[in-house]
Amino acid sequence: MTAIELDSVTKRFEDVTAVDGISLAVEPGEFLVLVGPSGCGKSTTLRMIAGLETVSDGSLEIGGERVNGVEPKDRDVAMVFQNYALFPHMTAERNMTFGADAARDISESELSKRAAEGAEMLGIEDLLDRKPAALSGGERQRVAIGRALVREPSVFLMDEPLSNLDAKLRIQMRTELASLHRRLQTTTVYVTHDQTEAMTLGDRVAVMNDGHAEQVAPPQELYDRPATRFVAEFIGEPAMNVFPVEVRGDAVVHDTGLEVPIAAGEMALKGDIDAADLGVRPEDIDIAPLDDASAGTCTATAEVTVTEPLGDSLLVHCQLGDETVQVSTTPRAAFDPGERVVLTVDADRSHLFDRETGEAVYHAPNTAVGSSEDRTQRADAVAPGAGGEEIQ
Amino acid sequence: MVRDIRAFDDSRAAAVFLAPTLAVLVLFLYYPSFETFRLSLYETLLLGQQTTFVGLDNFVTLATSPEYHNSLFVSFAFAAVVVVGSLTIALFVAYQLYRVDKWRSIYLVAAIWPYALPPAVAATVLLFLLHPNLGVITHYIEMIPGVEFDWFTNGPLAFGVLAVVAIWKQLGYNIVFLLAALHNVPESLAETSRLDGVGSLTMLREVYVPLISPTLGFLVVMDTIYAFFATFPLVDLMTSGGPNGATNLLIFKLYRDAFEFNSLGLASAESIVLFGIVSILMLAQLKLTGEYAHYGA
Repeated sequence: MTAIELDSVTKRFEDVTAVDGISLAVEPGEFLVLVGPSGCGKSTTLRMIAGLETVSDGSLEIGGERVNGVEPKDRDVAMVFQNYALFPHMTAERNMTFGADAARDISESELSKRAAEGAEMLGIEDLLDRKPAALSGGERQRVAIGRALVREPSVFLMDEPLSNLDAKLRIQMRTELASLHRRLQTTTVYVTHDQTEAMTLGDRVAVMNDGHAEQVAPPQELYDRPATRFVAEFIGEPAMNVFPVEVRGDAVVHDTGLEVPIAAGEMALKGDIDAADLGVRPEDIDIAPLDDASAGTCTATAEVTVTEPLGDSLLVHCQLGDETVQVSTTPRAAFDPGERVVLTVDADRSHLFDRETGEAVYHAPNTAVGSSEDRTQRADAVAPGAGGEEIQ
Repeated sequence: MVRDIRAFDDSRAAAVFLAPTLAVLVLFLYYPSFETFRLSLYETLLLGQQTTFVGLDNFVTLATSPEYHNSLFVSFAFAAVVVVGSLTIALFVAYQLYRVDKWRSIYLVAAIWPYALPPAVAATVLLFLLHPNLGVITHYIEMIPGVEFDWFTNGPLAFGVLAVVAIWKQLGYNIVFLLAALHNVPESLAETSRLDGVGSLTMLREVYVPLISPTLGFLVVMDTIYAFFATFPLVDLMTSGGPNGATNLLIFKLYRDAFEFNSLGLASAESIVLFGIVSILMLAQLKLTGEYAHYGA
């Protein structure tokens, strides 16, 4: 039995379709992240699961039961909001117990026991007597999470819970959320626009765009084998380079003469396509000064336009014909704007996308998950030091 | 170096800009207040053309007058009923308006239009609707067996009718402020409570009332002022203070003493007492609000 199942769920606000026939299945105990740009329908999807928005079309099941018209309180879900939604006139402890106390048949001693346990789990035992105004952002969010814990729901819903926190605290809370989930194993649906959060927290990640899910997959698979051009460009920082190429036999050729061979990958390039978009991640392109590079396959000359030192790597923006290509290289490499360079694309890590539909039509064989040690190492670039491996 | 920060280099320029406001204040506020205080120490005849200094005699007269005692009692009772009644009903109506999804603006207009009526018009219309012999509403009320709705002769009934009218007239004002305050409460608080299944009355009592308490405090003060001062036209047009002084509010009594019985000195003394009463009430209310109201998140 799945914990939550959405079958062609649609949400229309008058003439705007916010969610357009999304289908998703969340397994019991799973941590599923909905990620996407602003306005993609991720929060609306979450609010439909909570019951705060009605479902216009399709079927929504929680715990095997259809809940389309069921009141939020009868769905056994608890939600954590971006703005914490704490009652400003109540102490932290009262905030945690108020909802459960006012609505459910739980004895006072049981409630305070649960609040104490939640507080201990979240490290806020000393703050229980304080009102929200006397708490920092991180402490407030802990209280809000504590309130959800006290309810002991079968599903946690989290709507960008870390977005209001500063960068450092966000990373810390992210790790805490991951370990909390590992301890409780409660089914969780988590909405964020931050791809790092999505990659590090999610057992699986649903990338949403324009009201539908582009791809639902484990984080590494999203990175290695994006199903669409949108996913390819959305997941990964800096974003994947995508530029138009012509398909000639078993290779693709760019205007500048860059030629990348197409191997027999796990997806065969369909014969009837003569134009496509080539996708290569910045770390899968080699950059070298013009003089000591030997011309060959997969190479092209380009001009450096901007360099961005990121500390652990150097991001070089190059002009390749009409395209701007980002290349990630070793941190202390010396490249200057205006310099001519040779770019070498790693043919084993390239992707092709249909120019019309944006769907992936080819992944090079080395992009398969777990196919190379090299890949694991490279993928670290997605979330440096994010502690994502804790939940893998 | 500490330096004065002045908006104007020339203090004469500042004085010129302040002059119009000061002139209005002096002419229409400070001078009449002073004159009222002065008159309260005199006995007057012929609209104040002949005056005799009597010291605090007027205040002694008030302190010993059973009629004035009655007026004091009626005014306090009336203010209590009007403030509590109009705030309670307005809170309930505003909460329903806040929660309703459809036709909200139509309901809102319906709820606040009595406030837009001039008091004299409202009083006249209601006088006819509720008239013991002619009133349409009276007709339906008296269809209940054994009920006689003759508030022209029944004191407590007249007090009740006047209070209902005063409450009805003030509802719109309260609703506008309460609705604005309710809309300032973050919606996510209602949403999280919906997920928990908190009942709507519990929400009102435990969440909304504490969070809008600054507005409630403000309205208690404004409604008190309304009940003591602004209900004059209602009394004047509907009951003239009767029957038997049952609706003889302080503001109405002092008007009659001044302009019907020509006792300007006594009426001035009544003004001073009324001013003192309302000032003390407001101070107490503001202090209580400051202590118990919840300001900000």
